[in-house]
Amino acid sequence: MTAWYMVIANLKMTFRNRQSLFWALVFPLIFVVVFGLFRLDQPVTSKLVVIDQSKDSISRALIDQLKSITLIRVDESRTLEQAQADLQGGKVNYVLVIPPELEQTVARGTAAPVPLGLSYDAAGLQNNQRMFAILNGFVDQANLSLNHAKPLIAVQGQAIQAKQLRYFDFLLPGFVGMGVMTYAIIEVATVLSLYREQKILKRILASPLPGWQFFAGIIGAHLVLALVQAAIILLAGILLFHGHVYGSYLWIAVLVFLGNIVFLNIGFIVGSFARTPQTAIGLGNAVTMPMMFFSGVFFPTDTLPATMRAVVQYLPLTPMLTALRGVALDAKPIWSFPTELGILAAWVLVTSVVAIRVFRFS
Amino acid sequence: MARMENIIQVEQLVKKFGPLIAVDGISFEVRKGEVFGILGPNGAGKTTALECIEGIQEPTSGRTVILGLDTHRDGAKVKQRIGVQLQASAYFDYLTLAEILDLFGRIYTRHVPPRELLAKVGLEEKAKTTVGKLSGGQKQRFSIAATLVNDPEVVFLDEPTTGLDPQARRNLWELVQQIHHEGRTVVLTTHYMEEAEALCERIAIMDRGRIVALDTSMNLIHRLPTPYRVKVKSSRALPIDQMAALPAVQHVSGNGDGHVYTLDVSDSASAVPALLTWGKQQGVAFEHLEVRPATLEDVFLALTGKQLRD
Repeated sequence: MTAWYMVIANLKMTFRNRQSLFWALVFPLIFVVVFGLFRLDQPVTSKLVVIDQSKDSISRALIDQLKSITLIRVDESRTLEQAQADLQGGKVNYVLVIPPELEQTVARGTAAPVPLGLSYDAAGLQNNQRMFAILNGFVDQANLSLNHAKPLIAVQGQAIQAKQLRYFDFLLPGFVGMGVMTYAIIEVATVLSLYREQKILKRILASPLPGWQFFAGIIGAHLVLALVQAAIILLAGILLFHGHVYGSYLWIAVLVFLGNIVFLNIGFIVGSFARTPQTAIGLGNAVTMPMMFFSGVFFPTDTLPATMRAVVQYLPLTPMLTALRGVALDAKPIWSFPTELGILAAWVLVTSVVAIRVFRFS
Repeated sequence: MARMENIIQVEQLVKKFGPLIAVDGISFEVRKGEVFGILGPNGAGKTTALECIEGIQEPTSGRTVILGLDTHRDGAKVKQRIGVQLQASAYFDYLTLAEILDLFGRIYTRHVPPRELLAKVGLEEKAKTTVGKLSGGQKQRFSIAATLVNDPEVVFLDEPTTGLDPQARRNLWELVQQIHHEGRTVVLTTHYMEEAEALCERIAIMDRGRIVALDTSMNLIHRLPTPYRVKVKSSRALPIDQMAALPAVQHVSGNGDGHVYTLDVSDSASAVPALLTWGKQQGVAFEHLEVRPATLEDVFLALTGKQLRD
């Protein structure tokens, strides 16, 4: 019963403490908003200036086809000199020159193909490859039809992914994990060192309250807070930035709960070593920052070098995020992640033992 | 006189931290209903001794008993019945005074309503404020209110007035006396001899982990070989050795500039007439003469050769 009052008191204190609310909500929401505002998976459009010196049916057909591609903005208003100056100045990305009398030359027949001159900035490697692919596609098609050849192979596209999966959707469970981790570790470490400094822990020791009830109060309040935190992060992502969660919120809650226990224990361990709240914040950041960057909050861990991935996959945040994404995005049940759950369970066990060992009241 | 009941017994209490001996085999009893003081300089081991008795620290050896219960074997039972104020402690920053007292009250089987506690320490109007907004004296009074949440039979106060201004200190002394008059036993530590003299019936003087003397303040002073001080101011410089040879005078300390001298005397009734007669012979007019009892400061100096406060 007393532990329950401790939970209530801890919740009250959290909501009255601005610094605590910052780490709980503002910090993760900043990430949601920033990454929500940037159109991260919208491909960059390229500006293509066409200098049509031919102005016949073939060149017209080609330009019209280029205009139908959303990634390319076609501009025909510039002169060659202007276009080249603007390419140098970075105002346009490509200049395509269609030589004069294209139709007549093709009709006459030529030994070598007629060159369409494309000038570009060599720095934009990815976009350049895309532009060459598109132009080559058109040119091949034109060659075939001008030669009256019959296509033998064709690509048949079929959209099978029913749900729309964006980079932001990938990020959202990452922010839930990051928010829960940062808040639990930094807040518990700070509060613990503060309570020790203010002798609140000793005062508890001088009362008949069993120590575990005092800590149950802190842990209980944090478990409630972590669920509120996860709900607010997801809600902000879904309502403000059209994020998606396809799976079960129950499994998300279970994973948040499990991960939170590990992070609370880490917070207790950090708080046992930190003499002052200031050191606790510093040490807490030293623990959370590497996990934030290497456990796959922002990028999939598959993109890391294999040796690093081998290490990073055992950090507690990594399996939590893998399972969270599997549950939230692929709508899988939680038992599809036995390895991840195993690593998390091992962390729960190890950190609990260490936290109890290193904890001190004064 | 009726035999007084002992409410606390400390037997051969030792507390070591590695090679450091913080408490070096102390023994004493506290009687029911008294205000008992532990006086000593900083680092004498007062706080460590108190925390061992309260059951917060495990003693290296020895036994501490409160209300007939071993404070380490029956810690939880003892803690229900004692109130503990820690030196320079604080309380939750984001709870109001009433909320803190309510929360602490719930820890105990018997508890006093927060409003009643705040009224007792004169903070009823601050019920909805946080500790951070209180003055130093108010904070100390609140921390005493927090030690009374369980209506304790024994109250421990560790340096309750350290850092307070004289007015706030006097307010707190009144509060301690009030707690005493409610029939509670009070054990306090202090390094202010005025505080020990003003509040405590019996005083244990502690130095380097040991109790060097334990008695009422009057007895401690009277046990000195020179329990009185005679202070004189003369019109001119006086020969110190001649004054020191007067009957009942043991030691003379003088301030040459102002011609002010302090005589440690064993018996003022014989020292003062002798001093006056000697003065007349010397043709000296004493502009000022005062006789006062020695203080606990003098007792501490006599026992340890050190000042209480350095």
